Amino acid sequence: MSSTLIKCLNIAKTVGRVTFKNFLTASQNQLPSLSPAAVGGLLKCGVHTTAPVRNERLMEFFDDPKHWSENEVKVGRAWKADELRIKSNKELHQLWYILLKERNMLLTMEHECNDKMEIFPNPERIDKVKISMENLETVVRERNKAYHLLETGETGERPQRQVNNAFGLRCTYKSCEHVLPPFMNTKWIKSRNLAYGGRAVHKFLLKYREKLYNAKRKAKNRARNEVMMILRRNPNFDLELLKRKYADVDIDKLRRTDKTRGHFVPKVDA
Amino acid sequence: MSTRWYPIYQRGNPQLRVFLPNFWMKLVRPTEEQPANVVTFAVSTEMTKHDVKNYLEKIYKLPVVDVRTRIALGETKRDQTYGYVTKKDDVKYAYVTMPKTEAFTFPDIFVNKAEKQEKEEKSLDESKAGFRRFLDRNKKRPGTPGWYSI
Repeated sequence: MSSTLIKCLNIAKTVGRVTFKNFLTASQNQLPSLSPAAVGGLLKCGVHTTAPVRNERLMEFFDDPKHWSENEVKVGRAWKADELRIKSNKELHQLWYILLKERNMLLTMEHECNDKMEIFPNPERIDKVKISMENLETVVRERNKAYHLLETGETGERPQRQVNNAFGLRCTYKSCEHVLPPFMNTKWIKSRNLAYGGRAVHKFLLKYREKLYNAKRKAKNRARNEVMMILRRNPNFDLELLKRKYADVDIDKLRRTDKTRGHFVPKVDA
Repeated sequence: MSTRWYPIYQRGNPQLRVFLPNFWMKLVRPTEEQPANVVTFAVSTEMTKHDVKNYLEKIYKLPVVDVRTRIALGETKRDQTYGYVTKKDDVKYAYVTMPKTEAFTFPDIFVNKAEKQEKEEKSLDESKAGFRRFLDRNKKRPGTPGWYSI
């Protein structure tokens, strides 16, 4: 079949017009009699077609057409941090944009697949790109930190400190730059809600701390009971291992308690 | 900046530059009919019009005339059994106008889906039939390996 005719058929599929299709199938039957030029001529005469217009730069948002409507797309693994550490800054910069484009492409394809109720092949590709990007950013951050430490003696990271929020809970406060110094910036002083108080908050804190304390207490009791059961069932258990596993439990004291003894008469040396 | 901590804007040079942007952009199928030179994108919610323009021009080398954006409210849904409300994320849509010379229609990705599926099913049926033949042949001598006879 001539390439022009194949093209025509494809167009007919996209348009999906019954009459046009019928006409083409008719022409397919009498294939030898029709030259490609004749088919092309027939196409031009008044039949309205909406062939998809491809924009090369916008097609970067789509996967390779040979992967379209594929059930499986085979790809490699994500970039490891160690592999990225031996790359130059320029290479990392280039790789970032490649990964960014890849992620955009994958997100576009996923969205389209979800829209059309189709299965998106190998969705772990998005995770791989994400992991690569995270690794790349950690490497760049390491370099940034090293440079800043060498030049200024500070890490160059965003300064943050622990403060109490309105509920009296500890949280990190990330500082940012301001045009005005703090004592002049009344709007900022009003906006940051760092103090806490009031009956409701105190009540909440009391109950919250009780909850935390109970969790801690139960964990401690559970560990102690576990150790006791182990010792009761296995009198010759390796004590070093137990001590290593349950560091908070006083095992020497527990061994003397009655509960750690099994239901048997202890052997008495003659 | 790798720390994602941007200093405040100050007049004069050198100006603030983004070295590793982590914005995402999705090309989505337009719900309404649009002119050929308008493309719809779903973008990171924190992106501004200038961001969208620069992103497309610098990274994708796409000429951009105009960008209009809107934030679509995410759907809320009440759970049938327990009655709690869940909400999907808000999405920012950017309608990007290219010059009149450019045109783009969203491609149909699943045109050949039926054909390929048919082909795959055919090969699957063949392998099934092959296995059935193997089972029939070895009915009287179970447990024989596949290489035992021709």
